[in-house]
Amino acid sequence: MAEAMVKLEGVHKRFGQLEVLKGVDLHVQKGEVVCILGPSGSGKSTLLRCVNLLEPPESGEIFVEGQDICKGPGSGTGEQSWNLDFVRQRVGMVFQQFNLFPHKTVLENVTLAPRQVLGKSRAEAEEKAKALLDRVGLSDKFDQYPERLSGGQQQRVAIARALAMEPHVMLFDEVTSALDPELVKEVLDTMRELASEGMTMLVVTHEMGFAKEVGDQVVFMDGGVIVEQGKPADVLDNPQQERTKKFLGLVLGTS
Amino acid sequence: MSEFFHQYFDFHIMGAHFSEVLEGFLKNLLLFAVVVVLALIWGLILALVRQLPGRKLIPLRGLTIAYIDVLRAIPLLIIILLISGGIPYLNFLPKDIRIPHWFGQPDPFWYGVLALTLVYGAYMAEVYRAGIEAAQGGQMEAARSLGMSHSQAMRHVIVPQAITKIPAPMLNEMISLLKDTTLVSVVALGESVLVGREVLAETFNSSAVLLAGLMFLVITLPAARLVDKMIKRNQGKITRGAHIEVA
Repeated sequence: MAEAMVKLEGVHKRFGQLEVLKGVDLHVQKGEVVCILGPSGSGKSTLLRCVNLLEPPESGEIFVEGQDICKGPGSGTGEQSWNLDFVRQRVGMVFQQFNLFPHKTVLENVTLAPRQVLGKSRAEAEEKAKALLDRVGLSDKFDQYPERLSGGQQQRVAIARALAMEPHVMLFDEVTSALDPELVKEVLDTMRELASEGMTMLVVTHEMGFAKEVGDQVVFMDGGVIVEQGKPADVLDNPQQERTKKFLGLVLGTS
Repeated sequence: MSEFFHQYFDFHIMGAHFSEVLEGFLKNLLLFAVVVVLALIWGLILALVRQLPGRKLIPLRGLTIAYIDVLRAIPLLIIILLISGGIPYLNFLPKDIRIPHWFGQPDPFWYGVLALTLVYGAYMAEVYRAGIEAAQGGQMEAARSLGMSHSQAMRHVIVPQAITKIPAPMLNEMISLLKDTTLVSVVALGESVLVGREVLAETFNSSAVLLAGLMFLVITLPAARLVDKMIKRNQGKITRGAHIEVA
C-alpha cells in the first residue's frame, strides 16, 4: 500500500484532568475522504486539531506525508518549530465559526497568508485568490467585507482561503453546523467538488448524507476512541457496535 | 453669597492672570502631547509582550504583568516624587540624563514625562489587552492554521481588530492623563495649577486656580461626551451586526 497521507498512531490528548483522546489510530490515504462522526465531547474535533498541531498531542505519533510531525527539531516547545511550518503548509483547516478576518475584504482574506507566509506578490496572490473564489462561486464578492455575506458564503470564502495555501490535506471541523439549513447545501457542494478533484479530506460532520455519498471511510468516535470504522455503507447502514447503533438511531431518528 | 463669588469668580483676578494661567495650561497640553505618544507606544509594547506565546517566556510575561499591576497600584504622585527626587542624585548616570534640559524644556518637565509614561503605559497596556483578547480566539487559530507566525497574526489580524475596539476606553485614559499632568506641579513645573497656586498664595483668592480648572473643562467635557457617543455607536454596530446575521 502506498504511504498514508495522514497517519495517527496511539494519539493521546488531555486537557487538565480530562483525557479527550485515549489512543487513536487512523490511516488516511491520498485522495481519501474520511468522515468522522460521533456525539459532542467524543474527541473528534480535538483529533482534527491535533492533525495540524493546533493542539499538540501528549503522546503518540502523527505522520503527514510520512513525516512524523510530533518529532523533529523544536518539537515539544509548541512554538516556532520546524514541524509547525511543515504541517501548516500542507494541512488546511476550515472552522465551524468561519473565522474570517472581519477587517479585511473577501479578497484580502484569501491573499493575506499567501503574501505573508509564502511571500507571493500581490498580483500573484490576487490572481490565485480570484480563481479560487470563482471556483466556490463568489466571483462577485471580491471587495465585500465578510459581515455582508451570508453564513454559507462566508464558509465558502473560508474554504477558498485555506485552499490558497495549496494544502495537500484539508480538515473540516463541523463546517455546516453554524449554518441555516438552506445554506448547508452550497457548502457541501463545494466540499463535494473538492473531493472529486482528489483532495485528501478529514471531515468532522453531522451530515450523514454527505458522509454516505462522499466519504470513502467513516469513523465513529465516542469517549476519545474510535469505536467503529469502515466503508460508509457498512458503518452507517449496518453498524456492528452498540454505541454506533445508538448514536445513529438518535441522529437519524429511527429508534 | 457674594463672598463666595468673590472667592472663586473674581473676574478681575481671572483677567489679570489669564495669560499666565493659559501659558501654564499650554505646558499641560505639551506634557500631555509628549506623554500620550510615548505611553501609547510603551503600552502597546507591554501588551504585546504579555501576549507572547510559549513556555520559555513565562518569566518575561510574569515580569510584564508585575510591572503593569504595580505601576497602577501606586499613587502617581509617589512615582513622580521618586523620579524627580531620585534620578538627579544617581551619579552613575550621565549628567544629561540626571538633569535633562532637552528641547528647551526644564528638568521637571522630563521627570513628568518619564513618570507619566511609565504609569500611563501600564494603564494603556490594559486597554490594549482588552482589545486583543476580544479579537483573539478563533481569529488567532485561523491565522495560525494558515501558516502565519504568532507575530504575523498579531500584526495583520489581531492588533488591527483590537485597535478598532479600544478608542473609547483609550480616550478615557487620555482624559485622565491630561488631568494628571497637573500633578507635575509638585516638582515646580510651571503649569496651570502651579500658576494658580502662586496667585492663591499672593491674593488668598481661588479664582486663578478655578480658571485653570475651567481650561481643562473646555477640553475634557467634550472629550467625555465623545467617549459616550463612541460607546453608543459601538453598541449600535453590535446590534446591526446581529441583525445582518439574522437576515
